[in-house]
Amino acid sequence: MDILIQQVLNGLSIASVITLIAVGVTLIFGLTGIINFAHGEFLMVGSIVTWIAVQQGIPFLPAMLIAILVVAVMGFALERGLFQFTLTRPTNGFIVSLGLIIVLQHVVILFFGPNQKSIPRPLSGVWDVSGVRIASVRVMVILVTIAVVAMTFVMITRSRYGRALRAAVEDRDTAALMGIPVRRYITGVFVLGSALAGLGGALLIALFPVTPFTGGTMVMKGFAVALMGGLGNLTGAVVAGLILGIVEGFSAGYGFSEWTDAYSFGLMILVLLIKPNGLFGGTSGPKMA
Amino acid sequence: MTLLSISDVTTGYGPTVVNRNVSLTLQENEVITILGPNGAGKSTLLRTIVGLVKPRGGTVIFNGEDLTGRTPDILAKRGVVLVPEGRRIFAEMTVGENLRLGAYARTDTEAIEADVGTMEAFFPILATKRHQKGGSLSGGQQQMLAIARGLMARPRVLLLDEPSLGLSPLLVKEIQAIILGIGKQFGASVLLVEQNAGLALSVATRGYLMQNGRIVTSGPIAELKDMSLMRELYLGGITEQAS
Repeated sequence: MDILIQQVLNGLSIASVITLIAVGVTLIFGLTGIINFAHGEFLMVGSIVTWIAVQQGIPFLPAMLIAILVVAVMGFALERGLFQFTLTRPTNGFIVSLGLIIVLQHVVILFFGPNQKSIPRPLSGVWDVSGVRIASVRVMVILVTIAVVAMTFVMITRSRYGRALRAAVEDRDTAALMGIPVRRYITGVFVLGSALAGLGGALLIALFPVTPFTGGTMVMKGFAVALMGGLGNLTGAVVAGLILGIVEGFSAGYGFSEWTDAYSFGLMILVLLIKPNGLFGGTSGPKMA
Repeated sequence: MTLLSISDVTTGYGPTVVNRNVSLTLQENEVITILGPNGAGKSTLLRTIVGLVKPRGGTVIFNGEDLTGRTPDILAKRGVVLVPEGRRIFAEMTVGENLRLGAYARTDTEAIEADVGTMEAFFPILATKRHQKGGSLSGGQQQMLAIARGLMARPRVLLLDEPSLGLSPLLVKEIQAIILGIGKQFGASVLLVEQNAGLALSVATRGYLMQNGRIVTSGPIAELKDMSLMRELYLGGITEQAS
């Protein structure tokens, strides 16, 4: 039982990072129809920036903020410089993202080498709650993710900007007729998604060592989670991330940890067989006039 | 005073030219209409005026400012608002959210809430459906909502694209009364595009007749009604289909 609780916490902490990717992927797809497969590389860059900052003697928390900022700026530049030209043909955006994977990986390898990088655990404490050993760093990762995802959720469901964003997701042209500057919202969503990936990268390197190739597996899982929840559906991505975390945790707890990588895809296939639009129903991407 | 002036506008999609050298003007406190058969290019012209379609040539001048090729959000901010064909209600959002979205370009929060009240008084059905999703409304109710949403921007020019499409004769009567009330109640000029010539001729004071993307004639409604070309276009179209 003790082991099980620990494993579920482990599962949830990894799933937190994956959920942060899934939220970014799903938000960007919902508004633009672009599936950004380079989102995993955004995360990896977040990890590398955190690593560099910590190497310079900066404490983890400010290093994390730097990573968020750097990846957000990168997202802004890539949207303005590349993705904005693919808005009328989202498939081109998808292909651009595939190219970006290679570019980002190799830029990181060029400057920092292909070997794995790690930082000292920002929180080294292990709590002993009546025999259950809980690593405080994992709890931190889960709590930070919950806080940030909740903030994103409230912003999208309650604020004037969120209302305009949802309108633009539903019908871009009509949203523009309402006076909503849709182009700026697209840039904004890229920046938000990138910031979440930067945060995910910082949290990931707090848990595990990271290599320049980490982005690939993480984005595959993030994409699986986004599909499971319904591509374009924020609530879906969060719930699917939670389910993945619990399933991975339980399976490791019962001694099937070598199958961990298969669960996200297995779950995705299962969900899509039963509900082809995902658990919460996805969007079909923007209407093309 | 001329509020909106379209000169020499040419539009198209890809290799197809839709409008050729279209010019028209809209005065303050005026209701005008563009009549013409299906596919004449009326909707494309409206979409071009608000910036959803970039014109190939010509100018769109509103209130003395050249707004040619600007994006729809700029036009909406200036007060040129299109109520699109097919209503395009945000189906997943409530009636109240749809109304408030119409006022996105405004920042006067209190006045916006007051205007929501005004719309609910002008379109009583919207008050009763306040918390329902837009998609759950009937076609006629959605059309009311679409017009109310457009008015929430406090437009100076309201462009209406086929507001009677798919509505019962009774509802068309209601739309007619609403269009006549827009000028008096909300001080907006109206440019109406309609296939229902009866409705268009009953609310507008001037009209333009469009055929194959060009304005073929224009004038006061009384004159248009007597023109043989009008009859040919509308009645002739019907006999062609029948034969």
